[in-house]
Amino acid sequence: MSYAHPEYLVETDWLAEHLNDPNIRIIESDEDPLLYAIGHIPGAVQVDWFSTLQHPLRRDFLTKEQFEEVASKLGITNDTTLIFYGDKSNWFACYALWLFQYYGHQNVKILNGGRTKWEQENRPLVKEVPSFEATTYKAKEADKSIRAFRDDVFKALEAKKPLVDVRSPKEYSGELTHMPNYPQEGATRGGHIPGAVSIPWAQAVNEANSTFKSPEELKSLYEGKNVKPDGEIIAYCRIGERSSLTWFVLKYLLGYPTVKNYDGSWTEWGNLVDAPIEK
Amino acid sequence: MTLPAKLQEIVDDFASMSREEKLETLIAYAEDMPDLPERFKTEREKMEPVPECMTPVFLIAEKNADGGILFYLDIPKQSPTVRGLASILTNGLNGCTLEEILSVPADFYMPMNLQEAVSQQRLNGFIGVLAHMKQAAVKVG
Repeated sequence: MSYAHPEYLVETDWLAEHLNDPNIRIIESDEDPLLYAIGHIPGAVQVDWFSTLQHPLRRDFLTKEQFEEVASKLGITNDTTLIFYGDKSNWFACYALWLFQYYGHQNVKILNGGRTKWEQENRPLVKEVPSFEATTYKAKEADKSIRAFRDDVFKALEAKKPLVDVRSPKEYSGELTHMPNYPQEGATRGGHIPGAVSIPWAQAVNEANSTFKSPEELKSLYEGKNVKPDGEIIAYCRIGERSSLTWFVLKYLLGYPTVKNYDGSWTEWGNLVDAPIEK
Repeated sequence: MTLPAKLQEIVDDFASMSREEKLETLIAYAEDMPDLPERFKTEREKMEPVPECMTPVFLIAEKNADGGILFYLDIPKQSPTVRGLASILTNGLNGCTLEEILSVPADFYMPMNLQEAVSQQRLNGFIGVLAHMKQAAVKVG
């Protein structure tokens, strides 16, 4: 058994040989915004999930026009192959990849193992920030088939479609509504969306080097919890970053046809008046 | 609001910096954080695992002969933002008395205007580490 779409992954060996390939752009997207500055893969540019990709005012992503501006400044053309990598097992790399797909970018890949594996293999990291000639990037209309809004979640609940909660067990059980000392990132209620199955994101990656687990392991992980390829699946976490990793796994490594990331996630649902909660 | 003199100095420095200077300085603070002294290593191993999403911050306080409190921290190098913020706090507060440490308000960093360099969410690390430092100071204070 192989991954359903292995073309969405690249290995560190391959990338090391393609650092100067003009048809690719390497993009670092981290949880910690300073990591890029202390050293990144040669030729890589940075996007920050918060300061680059979020709308400056609303709780939303960049508009199509704003996104086009960001992509143009990074010297990305509509045909560039984008290779995303980052810290924390590629959470935010998957998040950035998901947003580029949301605006219609076709050629996207994740560096298997991300920063962790690249560092473990003692591959080069540089501080030099590359500059690329600006382009005129044209985004497509937002692809809502990969993004779930709260109303989609209500509909999925009614139709008893599968929801996957990828947070840690204590967040799922409702013992934690936020990370200790981080009350601003919390929700007023703890628990999970009724009927959601708990499959923490981390079970999809190898702890030792942050690479994805084998196709067999992934298949048995999700199918074992009755999350099967038929029908629509919605994944969520707290702010949508960990669930974008699960979204990537289900959509591209296992090839499930319809998977959505609910980026509102628990910080929306757990604060939403009148929304049903299970503990 | 009166902050301990050293911390006030750091806050003022940051307030006058450009975005790029802030980033560079924060990185310098992260890189300058000393390693945890050998004598705390056993205690470090006893530290409980923290929930995912959070950077594991190990912190211990000691009182020196003249009554000032010193902090020792261990934060992974893979988390430069939290390391940088924590390093600002130890630089600003090492040697202060318990009263001085407890009097630092949780929003002391607002005049630094760091949110233009690091998102507001990441700045919550300040609040977290400061609360942690206060608890540790009370234990030895």
